[in-house]
Amino acid sequence: MSENKPRMRETRLVMISPASNVTPDLLVRTAHALGRELSAKETCYGCLLEGDPATVAEARDELRKLDPHGIYSKRRAYPAGDPRRCRAQHGTRPGYAQLESEWKLLANLQNAMDAIDLGEKAPPEPQKKILPVREFKEIYEVNL
Amino acid sequence: MKKIFIDPPNSMILFDIVERLGHEPLSTMAALQERVDNLEIDMPPMNVTLDDVISGLKYAGIEVPSGIRGRLATWGPHIDEADAAIVMAEAPYSFGCVGCERSNEMVKYLLRRRGIPVLWVEYPGDKEAAMRMLEKTKEFLGGLE
Amino acid sequence: MIKIAQLSCGTEYSSVQSEIEKAAFSVGGKMVYPDVGADDIDAAVKEFGFNPRSPQLKLMIARAVQLAKGVYDADAVFIATCFRCAEAALVRNELRRYIQEHTKLPVVTYSFTERMKSAQLLTRMEALVTIVSRKELLARERQTGLTAGLDSGSSTTKALVMKDNKIIGKAWMPSYDVVESATTVLNQALEQAGYKLKDLEAIGTTGYGRFTLGRHFDAKLVQEELTVNSKGAVWLADRQKGEATILDIGGMDNKAITVRDGVPDNFTMGGVCAGASGRFLEMTANRLKIDVTELGKLAEKGDWRNAKMNSYCSIFGIQDLVTSLGEGKAFEDVAAAACHSVAEQVYEQQLQEIDIRRPIIQVGGTSLISGLVKEVGSVLGEMPIVPPDSQYIGAVGGALLSSGFLM
Repeated sequence: MSENKPRMRETRLVMISPASNVTPDLLVRTAHALGRELSAKETCYGCLLEGDPATVAEARDELRKLDPHGIYSKRRAYPAGDPRRCRAQHGTRPGYAQLESEWKLLANLQNAMDAIDLGEKAPPEPQKKILPVREFKEIYEVNL
Repeated sequence: MKKIFIDPPNSMILFDIVERLGHEPLSTMAALQERVDNLEIDMPPMNVTLDDVISGLKYAGIEVPSGIRGRLATWGPHIDEADAAIVMAEAPYSFGCVGCERSNEMVKYLLRRRGIPVLWVEYPGDKEAAMRMLEKTKEFLGGLE
Repeated sequence: MIKIAQLSCGTEYSSVQSEIEKAAFSVGGKMVYPDVGADDIDAAVKEFGFNPRSPQLKLMIARAVQLAKGVYDADAVFIATCFRCAEAALVRNELRRYIQEHTKLPVVTYSFTERMKSAQLLTRMEALVTIVSRKELLARERQTGLTAGLDSGSSTTKALVMKDNKIIGKAWMPSYDVVESATTVLNQALEQAGYKLKDLEAIGTTGYGRFTLGRHFDAKLVQEELTVNSKGAVWLADRQKGEATILDIGGMDNKAITVRDGVPDNFTMGGVCAGASGRFLEMTANRLKIDVTELGKLAEKGDWRNAKMNSYCSIFGIQDLVTSLGEGKAFEDVAAAACHSVAEQVYEQQLQEIDIRRPIIQVGGTSLISGLVKEVGSVLGEMPIVPPDSQYIGAVGGALLSSGFLM
């Protein structure tokens, strides 16, 4: 690795909430428009960014500006297109089901962030009710 | 900026929230990247080696299945190094590296045993629950400074 | 490439995944993972009816359901989980059963430790690939022409010559140098048959030394012992059609194979240690200062209940044996206890991983130890069939299958 090249790579998975209007295509165009040494690859849920950690963090912040509460991200261990984790090689990996599940949750999170920004307060947690024995007794006496 | 262990350790949501709030999430992805990028090891797909599994003996004895020791060897150093942790209970998703329930229980126990501040949040089922979770997380991380 | 669907938990974190893939690749197979979406998982677990706590086991179930429904196409199935994990052991066995009930795919199960290497899986993977890729050859029920089979086992080497579906020469000896042992027994078998090496139209090799022998004798067939022995066993027992379980308590490892029309669809191979193998009986015979061939008859006269022995580990087993002898127990009872202990271990370790199908055909060198066969029968509640020449299954299978290559 040459002196000028970054010593560390960071690969980041960017995901768009189902409640957002941003498209993967827009993410990738925005990333490319930064004009930095960064690769951006469109995926079905968003995009994959790869570059040195500082550049990737900068791109993440820029992408988030497109929809601050609708765009989420995490690091990824494997470089983009790594055959060890490529779907074409083996079919889906377990982490795929996890991502799919998390993606569905993003709309809740996005709506919550929007509400907090608007100054809404979260309602208190509903208490789990326990049926008093007398009531339960009445119910089963009626039903049995 | 504090180092926050997240559990499930591969959760995108926890990773993202911790980062948004200005802290460093300690995740499986980081732990695995060190291994994946090591060109001297050829144990695809994750480069978890026999030595890793053996080093897992620090956390669990030889009678414990190898998959548990390998997992603990991967996350253990992060648990040891964390300043605090956020644990999301009852997450309906937890596949891949968090596929073993015994390992997941052990991670929670190791966090408790270390005695670092741990925030226990519930998996949010709706917007209101997500708001409560976000508020709690903000308060927790703010209190660490 | 033969697609072997992998249903597993813990392989990547046990540093064995690359070993699994290496083993599959070296025999012309490829590990694949049935595609599963997040929504499929809950539905599959519900349908299967067993709800494990560990998510990866749920994923295994979902993948099995994809195979059962034919949504995902594979040629064979490999089910593997961590050794000593109770939850996974339950799921592993029930999934194996489920796959067998819902598909025609050959299945093998395995529980691994972090020290598992590809070599340990090679024979199993090769068998999976053979069952898929050599279907027509395995369907062969009659031997034709003049052929020989060589079985290079860990304890003994066997050679057998067949002509027109009849055995005309056979010989065996303890294994030493792979090629020399095989040459010796093959010459003896040929002499008995009245033929010369050059007269043979084809040779089939199997057992641990099969590759070396295959090259040396320019064999037409070089094949692992799971499929070859199955064919040999059903030919010898004249059970070519229908179902059976083949039990081979070997010198180094044990095999339990279920077959349908002579073709294996599930098998286990292994043993935690020598305690549950023929080697333990050899050690017992040595300690009793008798030949292992006499052990069976001696054991038949004894009662294992009079000399408790647990050969889970051969070292502890021998300790038990020494203790029993020290207590003045009868040799007959000690011999019976050793046989019973091996039968019990095989039952506990091998036969729990398959669904036993009747009849049980016991083969291999140890099937000549009558006391062991008796104890296997008492543990299983049914006497196994021991066909004539039962120690020659591998050689018979080799001769039979290699004749399939003749024009």
